[in-house]
Amino acid sequence: MTMKAFEYASPSTLDLALKALAAPSSEALSGGTDLLCRMKDDVAAPERLVYLKDVKDLAGVKGSAAEGVTIGAGTLLASVVASEAVKASYPALWQTTLEVGTPQIRNMATVGGNLLQRPRCWYFRNGFGLLAMQEGKSLVRLGDNRYHSIFMTDGDALFTSPSSLAVPLIALGATATIVGPNGERTLPVEDLYRAPRTDKQRELTIEPGEILTKVTIPPAKGKNASYEIRAKQSHDWPIVLASVNLTLEGETVSAAKIMLYGVAPIPWRSAAAEQALIGKKLSVETAEDAGKAAVKNAQPLSMNQFKVSLTTTAVKRALLTAGGMKYWEA
Amino acid sequence: MASWPEHPRLIGTRIPRVDGMAKASGRAKYPSDVRPEGMLFGVMLYSPHAHAKITSIDTTAAEKMPGVKAVEVIAKAGATLRYQGDDIAAVAAETEEQARDAIAAIKVVYEVLPHVVTEAASMADGAPKIVNTGNVRKGRAITKGNVNDAFKKADATIEGTYSAPVITHVCLETHGLTAKWDDKDHITAYASTQAVGPTAAELAGTFNIPFTNVTVLTEVMGGGFGSKFGADLWGRTAAQLAQKAGAPVKMFLDRVQEHLAAGNRPSASGTVKMGATKDGRLVAMEAHTHGTGGVRGGAGFPLPYVYDVPAASRTHDDVMVNCGGARAMRAPGHPQGCILMEAAMDDLAEKLGMDPIDFRIKNLAPNDFHTPIYLGELAIGAEAIGWKENRKPRGQGGKGPIKKGFGVALHQWGGGGTQDKQVTCIINPDGSVELKSGTQDIGTGARTILAVIAAEILGLEVGQIKSNIGNSTFPTGQPSGGSTTSPSMAPPCYSAVTAARDALFAKVAPALGVQPADLDVKGGKVLVKGEPKLTWAEACRKLGTMPISELGKFQPGLASGGVGGCQFAEVEVDVETGVVRVKKIVAVQDSGLILDLLTWESQVYGGVIGGLNYGLFEERIMDPTTGVMLNADMEMYKLAGASDIPEIIVKAYDPPEQKARGVIGVGEPPTISTAAAIGNAVSNAIGVRVPVWPMSPRNVLNALAAAATEGKA
Amino acid sequence: MADLDTKPRPGASRRDFLRGSGLAAASAVISGPARAALDEAAAEAREAQDAVPVLSGQVKITLKVNGQERHTTVEPRSTLLDTLRHRLDVTGPKRVCDRGSCGACTTLVDGAPVYSCTTLAVSCQGKTIETLESFDTGPEGVPHAFHQNDGLMCGYCTPGFVTACKALLDRNPHPTLEEVKQGLNGNICRCGTYVGVLKAALAAAKSMKGA
Repeated sequence: MTMKAFEYASPSTLDLALKALAAPSSEALSGGTDLLCRMKDDVAAPERLVYLKDVKDLAGVKGSAAEGVTIGAGTLLASVVASEAVKASYPALWQTTLEVGTPQIRNMATVGGNLLQRPRCWYFRNGFGLLAMQEGKSLVRLGDNRYHSIFMTDGDALFTSPSSLAVPLIALGATATIVGPNGERTLPVEDLYRAPRTDKQRELTIEPGEILTKVTIPPAKGKNASYEIRAKQSHDWPIVLASVNLTLEGETVSAAKIMLYGVAPIPWRSAAAEQALIGKKLSVETAEDAGKAAVKNAQPLSMNQFKVSLTTTAVKRALLTAGGMKYWEA
Repeated sequence: MASWPEHPRLIGTRIPRVDGMAKASGRAKYPSDVRPEGMLFGVMLYSPHAHAKITSIDTTAAEKMPGVKAVEVIAKAGATLRYQGDDIAAVAAETEEQARDAIAAIKVVYEVLPHVVTEAASMADGAPKIVNTGNVRKGRAITKGNVNDAFKKADATIEGTYSAPVITHVCLETHGLTAKWDDKDHITAYASTQAVGPTAAELAGTFNIPFTNVTVLTEVMGGGFGSKFGADLWGRTAAQLAQKAGAPVKMFLDRVQEHLAAGNRPSASGTVKMGATKDGRLVAMEAHTHGTGGVRGGAGFPLPYVYDVPAASRTHDDVMVNCGGARAMRAPGHPQGCILMEAAMDDLAEKLGMDPIDFRIKNLAPNDFHTPIYLGELAIGAEAIGWKENRKPRGQGGKGPIKKGFGVALHQWGGGGTQDKQVTCIINPDGSVELKSGTQDIGTGARTILAVIAAEILGLEVGQIKSNIGNSTFPTGQPSGGSTTSPSMAPPCYSAVTAARDALFAKVAPALGVQPADLDVKGGKVLVKGEPKLTWAEACRKLGTMPISELGKFQPGLASGGVGGCQFAEVEVDVETGVVRVKKIVAVQDSGLILDLLTWESQVYGGVIGGLNYGLFEERIMDPTTGVMLNADMEMYKLAGASDIPEIIVKAYDPPEQKARGVIGVGEPPTISTAAAIGNAVSNAIGVRVPVWPMSPRNVLNALAAAATEGKA
Repeated sequence: MADLDTKPRPGASRRDFLRGSGLAAASAVISGPARAALDEAAAEAREAQDAVPVLSGQVKITLKVNGQERHTTVEPRSTLLDTLRHRLDVTGPKRVCDRGSCGACTTLVDGAPVYSCTTLAVSCQGKTIETLESFDTGPEGVPHAFHQNDGLMCGYCTPGFVTACKALLDRNPHPTLEEVKQGLNGNICRCGTYVGVLKAALAAAKSMKGA
């Protein structure tokens, strides 16, 4: 398939980029690994693309373990993987980034593009709309929902949030900075996402004409880790991915943030798993309990019951990876 | 009877393929790379609906668009479209972008008709009838012996339901061709095909021109696997557009239509009841199976398979769905039959408490030529995988969450060559040697093995032989399918080269004052009574201005058919994630005389990896409501990448009596039993049969959950 | 932006919809102040067009391909892959999935392997583009190792594998088997040639070391 024709601008500064993006039906283009495919699939047809990779200020990893790290939205995933600071302080993010896509994709795709990519739901990608409703009925419920949500399934948004980087970033307490015609705003990464209620809404809160410029991660305290489950070991999407960020007092978990990918239309925070763990010493048993707590209120669809057990396992193994207790590798 | 050299210099050694460097350096021109002067880009419009009638189609706007040179309507008003991807119309334009814009501008009004895209929906009561004769076509029933009586003799009986999904060929170079009219009644087509001759015949027939006016060229091509035996509707349409536009037209499917319309391997499901005596002898099988090959049927598969089942009864339903039609895919029917048979064999061995290898050996047919082959192969394979030391009884895969398991499966394939194909061998006065035949190389190494044969017989190096194939105007060659190419082409190649050599001897001998029988060739020299006398070039110079050209035909004694083969799998299954990792595959394969061990091994590796994809990943996923394929891509349609590849040990089973059978193809056999062996290894690891292929996390976890529920009940 | 995220079903042009009622629908989901700012910005966009060249229609570009300056005309939507194959007759990189999943189109842009099927040609001006046609075909090169180790069958994935392999060895001349697999995970072969490919990659590393 070929994309519909569009205009193209490649500004060199953020200011010029904002101006170029102000034209109607404009979209920002970074790595292109998502947007251009949607355009080829005819589920996106912007009339103008504003290429952001020539905006040099958008790329780069800055900071240190002590002061925290800022990652420009235009930073290539390959550069995140190459960052010693990220690897040392945020293994949850580093590991997840390493597992995104392929070497080629990591050379193209950016952090901003990963965070703002559109859902992989195959009904969406086949042109049936984000909620995939037809004559008042959900195609997802009626059809093949093996890769869809197990939480928030009483709503109509049954796709899963597609950004795997969002999950560790939220677990690590990162914020996102957005600039737009009205200036700059900073918000927690989780606030980039919402579960749309109608087909007119997007799952992203960023407004047309705005640009995500960077994410800022506070200094790491305690331990963090991610665990991803996928069918193929080569290029594949995670089925479920868990990222955890633990604060420890001695051996006891005093605070925990547990985030999940692949289970809900937004990056899913499992407060239940966190509660199950806080005040306990991390062990195979407490990790298992946290994993089970994570799925207590899961409402799987007709074909994705298996994701419930995957979620338990992902939470358990992310926790035990953080704790250095990889029992499954024994 | 002709025979191959007893002590070959080249045959059976590891020879890099003659077109390997062209391919590895990006210089090889595939049909989709060719760009004749003035070439236009063709694009197909295909049905977005699984079942619809065209109310109206209007191409007026498309015809007026910039760059558009020709528009062809295939499905006119009133035509019925029977699957998503069914052809509607085509456009040729100066750029591909223009052609696609024009396709989008074709106005089609559809009357959407009720569809069924899953077997369950097609077989359901009240299902819309999508084929006049009914959605289910009864396959040939098999009845052998009295099954009911036979089951009474069984000490152990199992009944299992097993299934494998539809998969698609995913040829990397999509189907298509570039058509060029040389004048008003001569056409040249650069086609991605596994059969240049039949493709030329199809084009000649379409345009009612003589076969001699058509040249189909396939220098190299990007994969076929059984799905590329003709010009196809899109290829014929390309030629029509080229005729209309007065310019060459390139037409290759996009990836989506490739999945939808260019063939698939039918699904297979069934309930298999099988019984054996306590000493491990099968007594009876009863099977009810079904499968779908899309809108045209063709979902049959062999069952019982491999083993000697004294009494058997089988029914088969070929289920029609609104999906693109099946085409032959690497060993058509056999991988499916192998899965159902071998899963049942394993489950019955488990019930009997017998070692799966012992149980299999007990049930090989006593007077079948395959049996001694299987016995030899099983011994080699069991040794290579460490069956005795490493394999534990089912469900004892280890203490942690990651369970180890071993599985085995057997397969067979007929193959064998035809006896009517031809090769010409030309020896030129400058010493250059050319082979010509209208066969083609789909990646198997067909071009190379012909050169190997010629170099062997002429005492030259492989690089000195020009192996010229992939041209429909050359002497008739074999289509590349069914593992028939090598056994069909090797004998006429042998004949042609031998005859050419003898003709050369006849010319040279008088000049040397000896008898032709005194001459031989070796190491680039012509020998007289064993003594080097002339270089090859000097000898050929004696031809003057007249090259030698000999047409070779079939001779008995050089080729054969019919092989066995067994494969072993070692897997690790994580019971908490359902993820299966194949650690090792051992493939033991007989295929007569191996011509080039390097390309032979690649074929076997490739077969195994194809089987690994079938065993672990592949699945065409159809949406019941909208009738569309949900994963018509190469991302959610999952295929193994480098990190999914296990250690693969390939063993050729070629004792002297096998070599003596002559050349047998190896395209199909090694892909048949891999998925079955993997499935058996998974159940050995986790103690539970995973009845649904592929062995995906979902299917594995579902099987474990079902077993846990049963356990509680 | 209106984004109903639906594929235009036959008969209705989504683009027409975008140009018409779609914008009204868009304003419904954009809050008041943002909307106003957007309108203002829309006016400024024309200024932006002065500051930033906006390319549309047929665009003349120059690409540095395999050491040569190549001039051609593309559209903004033309991918690097299609430009190489259809306009510059550089047909080594292949179009297979056309969605950045299979790697057959792998091309080096400023030395890094990328999927040229999801890279716009217009974005590659001023960059160094290398396809495998420019690689050393001698005994120390990657193509030679693929040939000798039979790291190819039909050969249609091969250009992508060779290019990814070259890129891997440029960065890591002494890879382990595991690293080779990681480096080639962005490429898919359907004939199942991986065993030969992995052998070829390790052999190429070895002969480069010897160099």
